[in-house]
Formats: sequence, structure tokens, C-alpha cells
Amino acid sequence: MALPEISLDKIEKEVTNSQIWKSMFRNWPWQDTARHRARHIVDNVWLHLHPAKIQPRALRWTFTWGLGGISFLLFLILTISGVLLMFYYRPTVELAYQDMKDLEFAVSFGIFLRNMHRWCAHAMVTVVMLHMIRVFLTGSYKKPREFNWAVGVILLKLTLFLSFTGYLLPWDQLAIWAVTVGTNMAGATPVLGNEGPFANLLGMTISNDVRFVLLGGTTVGANTLLRFYVMHCVAVPLITGALIILHFWRIRKDTFSAAPLAKNEEKADVWPNLVVREYIAAAAVTAFIFFLSVYANAPLEEIANPNVTPNPSKAPWYFVGLQELLVYFDPWIAGVLLPGIIIGGLCAIPYLDTSKKGIGYYTWSERPFANAQFMFGIAFWFILITIGYFFRGPNYFWYWPWESWLVHKPVSAPTWSFSLPVGVTLLAAYGALGMTLPRLIKSEICWRKASGAFLGLFALVGLWMKFGGDISTWRVVTVGVLLYLTFLFGFLYPQRYIRDLDLPRYTITQALVLMQMGVLVKMGLRLGLDVKYILELPQFNLNI
Amino acid sequence: MANPVKRKDFLWMGWGAFAAFLGGAGAATTRFFVPNILYEPSQKFNAGKAEDFPIGVSTLWFKQQRVWIVRSAQGIYALWARCTHLGCTPNWFISEMRFKCPCHGSNYNPAGDVLAGPAPKPLWRCRVEITATGDLVIDKAILENRAGVREKAPFFAEYA
Repeated sequence: MALPEISLDKIEKEVTNSQIWKSMFRNWPWQDTARHRARHIVDNVWLHLHPAKIQPRALRWTFTWGLGGISFLLFLILTISGVLLMFYYRPTVELAYQDMKDLEFAVSFGIFLRNMHRWCAHAMVTVVMLHMIRVFLTGSYKKPREFNWAVGVILLKLTLFLSFTGYLLPWDQLAIWAVTVGTNMAGATPVLGNEGPFANLLGMTISNDVRFVLLGGTTVGANTLLRFYVMHCVAVPLITGALIILHFWRIRKDTFSAAPLAKNEEKADVWPNLVVREYIAAAAVTAFIFFLSVYANAPLEEIANPNVTPNPSKAPWYFVGLQELLVYFDPWIAGVLLPGIIIGGLCAIPYLDTSKKGIGYYTWSERPFANAQFMFGIAFWFILITIGYFFRGPNYFWYWPWESWLVHKPVSAPTWSFSLPVGVTLLAAYGALGMTLPRLIKSEICWRKASGAFLGLFALVGLWMKFGGDISTWRVVTVGVLLYLTFLFGFLYPQRYIRDLDLPRYTITQALVLMQMGVLVKMGLRLGLDVKYILELPQFNLNI
Repeated sequence: MANPVKRKDFLWMGWGAFAAFLGGAGAATTRFFVPNILYEPSQKFNAGKAEDFPIGVSTLWFKQQRVWIVRSAQGIYALWARCTHLGCTPNWFISEMRFKCPCHGSNYNPAGDVLAGPAPKPLWRCRVEITATGDLVIDKAILENRAGVREKAPFFAEYA
């Protein structure tokens, strides 16, 4: 008996001509025409957030680096791997750590999923940060995209908050101590936290303040684990997802920022040009995460012990910069005020920088002030992370990366504070001179001469510090470098570039610049001269 | 109608009621997140016979109860081993006579005063009591760190 002949062409024709197929794919049969390429985008629920056509510059890898899309991909992988992990994880103090061990040793592919979730989380924090840097450098936050930049800043914050809430769930030592430190910062919130300035105004205690509400108790315990679990798995992803939709929708409505490469250039079809690039990036990143998750296991420390802190105890890398800041400032400044100002300041950038130059392409010469200040802030953040991660050893003492942690270090020198009148005078002088001088000096300053004069002057002070005050050379150099950076970015840059800005914008910009540089000054005073506080008002818990 | 309701008043009323509803719902949700019952362990414990503690800093109860018991020639006090900076547990280094915190590098002396690092306040001392049977009872819920007050009862138990 002869077998019936199988014709693939015939089967394909039958299938694609059926009512079922045609009901699913309206735009059939596919033809490679401009109309079909456009309908491929417009008629597709997944792709319709794209425009049908796009500027050729936006297709270049080196314009966007695909960072926004990769962030979204990582969010999707995190959602899927997270939901799978939820099937084997129980958020209770007795079971959470056991379930982590089971995921590692008793669940098929459990360790792989956990690795994937962890490495994607690290990657997402990195990529979201890089995405923000890219958007800044191409001026893509400027009118009409100011609001979407602010949405992006909130999404960055939510990405960090998702990481933070996720950190507690393994219930290991890193988890409990990172969250203890993090939530104690909430306890240092002015007025609303029991250890913050003016805590007594509303009668805040350890069992009624904002920290208590966050923890669901007075210490990180069973309630905290459950609360963080619900926030991590349900509440925050929902908010993040909603804001991602808003973010995408606004990109579309505000139009892409990429500037034309030539006059009267023709736009390119998004299908297939952009979509193919997106899929290539997604495949490459997925493959990278896949291999990383096969070869490297996510760390899991000992089970949480609320009485004993590991020594040294370090936050995950993206919070180590904040941890390092906490060495120099009281928690309400480093943990509440500065993060608040950083978020507020980032959101304010598009409303402060209203220059129409440099939108949609990389340029340094057209935006010297904005780029220098922003990139200095970013570099400073990563320097803080480097210090915290590589230069801190047992008891959070300063150890050089090449030093053994077993080396015995002399005890840290005693710290001292300025008296109240001196502190008030210093702060007032820094604020008053810093705000007025760059605006009042109208002449062009030669930076080379000014830097020479500043460094010459400091050389004399430095020699006096070294030989008169017996302060070691590296401390003098540290103070010198930090003060010079303050002089450069806090005075020379604003004096040259923003002295003619309108008064409100000048005031806010310069205040933000001075606060950023003030952090460096305080670091210099602590590292070089062991100054604890510039201004000390212990009766209000208010020390700067 | 004798007393017609004006459009303006009606809208004020309507939106006012809506705002009141939102405010009430917000307040109720906030209150919902404040637990009324806590299942946390008691902060009070019996540390054993006072006579068993030698002069100096004892780490006997450190791992279980997070306190150091310090005995001098005059008496006994108990330091709560919680850094006043951000709540990590410092470690005792007898060779340097210092408590050092592993999180941000604060240093304290055995009296609890800050020697170095970012901590804003001295370590807290717990309420201590020596019972008729000679037991040392420590209550971590009642704390004091002001110089002059912390050296007196109930934060210091005279014991020769």
C-alpha cells in the first residue's frame, strides 16, 4: 500500500487559509512592502508601542546601546524566574532559609533559577543606571521629555527598592544586617523616626514610628520578612510595571530624541530594522545571563542571627556607596536627606537645564557644564562604591586592597568637632560665598592660573599641616585633592558657565552643586583631620 | 422650592465627602500596618548570679541576649550591644579596650562613650537589678545613656 504523499506547501496553504489562522493574524499573507512593514508594527499588540518609522540615528548601536530595552528584558526574566521561585519558598523565619537550601540541593534546577534571579537583579541595577547616563549624555531628557525623565528616576529608585526588599528573603546574615541597617535609616527620618531630629515633636518611640510600620515590629523579625515578601513579590512589581507602561507610552508620545543625521533624511522602517536589533540584544543578554547562572552560584551566607553581625558587614555593591557615606554623616543626612536630594535633584535636571543645545546626539563641547557636573556625580558615586567595597576591612577600618585583613591596625584616632560659633560661621561662609561668588564675578577666569594659585596656596597649608600639625602625607594629599575638586566643580565651572542663568535656576542649580561638593569637603575633613561634626546640636539630634 | 440647594454648595459637599472618604481610607490603611500584638521575645532576662561576673567586660550573654555585662570595683552595669549609629552589633576587643562596629567603624570605650566613627550617641545601658537571691536581672526595654543618669540606679547596681 502506498503512503499518502505529504506536501508541506499544501499543508501550509491549508493552515494559513483556514478561518482560525486568519482570525489570529489579520495581516496575512505577508508581503515585503512598506505597507506591510508598517502594519506589522501597528497591528501587533506586542510591537504597537513602536512607531512604524524611526530616525536612522536611533538604529545605531552606539546611540542607545539598547539599554532601555535590556532593562525591560531583565525585568521580564526577573518576573518569570521570581514567580517560579515562589513555588518553593515560604516567607517565615523558621522555613525561609531551609527553603533556600532546598532550592540549592533538593529542587531540580532550583539553584539555576535562583542564580538567574540574582544575576538578573544585579544586571538590571547596572543597566538601568547606564541607561540613565546614556539618556543624560544625549540630552534626551530635555523638552518635551522632562516628565518621562522623572518617571525614569522613579523607576531607578523602584529597581533599587526591589533589590533591597529581595535581599531580606533568603534570611541569611547578609539579608538581616543589610535590612537592619537600611530600616534603621528610616528610624532616623526627621520628625517621623524615633532616632531622627525632632523625634519628640510627635512623640516618636521605637514602637510607633515610621520604622515600626515598615518592620511590623521593633526588630527585623517574622513580620518584617512577610512584609518584605509581599512588597517584593506583589506591591512593588505592580507599581513598577505600571510605571514601565507609562514610561514606554511617553517615549512614543514624546517622540524619539535621536537627531537626524542629515537634512531631509528619510526615516527607516522599524520592522525589521529596529525589531531585529532588539531581538539580537535580547538573545545576547539572555544567553549571557544563562551561562553566568550555570557557572556562578548566588552567594548564601549563614542563617540570620539577630545578635551577631558579620565583620566586616557590607551592603550589596550598589548600596555600598551609601554605606560609605554613612561613615561621614549622621543617618538622617546620609540615609534620608542626601538620597532625597539626589532623587529630587535628578528629577529637577530637565527643568533646570533648559538649553536647546545637544538634544539627540552625544556632545561634550555644547554642554560642558551639565556633562561635567553629572558625570562627576556619577564618578563620585562609583568611587564611594569602590572605597566601600575594596578599601574597607574588619571593623570597617581602612585597609588597602593589597593589605591582608590580618594586619594589626593602630586604633582609629579620636574625632573632634568644631565649636558651635565656628561651625555656624564655616557653614554660613561656605553657603554664602559659594552661592554669590560665581554669579558676582563677571570676568573670565583663566582656569590654569586659578588652579595654580589654589594649589600653590594649598601647598603652603599642606606643608604647615604636615610639619606643624604632624599629619601624614597621604592625609594632606587627600584633603588637597578633595578641596581642589570642590574649587573646580563648585566655583570655576559655575562661574564660567551658569553665572548668567536666570536667578531661580541659578539658585537651585548652584545649591545642588554646593551640596554635592559639600559631601566631598566633609569627607576631606574626616579623612584628613578626624573632624566628626562641623555643626553639632545634640539637643535636636541635628549634627552636620 | 423654598430652599433650593445651590450648585456650588452641592459640589463642595460632594467633593468634600469624597476627600473625607479618601483621607479616612488612607488613615485606616496606615493604621492597619501598625500591629497591635507583637510576638517578640521578652527583653528581660536573668543573667545568673552577680557574684559570678569578674571585674571587666563579660561577653557571657553577648551571643544569646546581645548585652555586655561590665563589672567594676563599685558595681555592675549592662551595655546593650546595639550600635547607636544604625543598629549593628559591635565586637569587644579586650587588647584595645574598645567595642568596634563592623558596619561603619564606630568605636566605643567600656563606659559606652564614642571614641571614633560615625555613631552619634553613647551605647545604651540597660536597667539592672540584683534580686534578694543575688541574681542579676537585666531589662533591655528600659534604657539610658545620659552621663550622670546612667551611672545611678536602676542602670547601675552597686555591688562590691
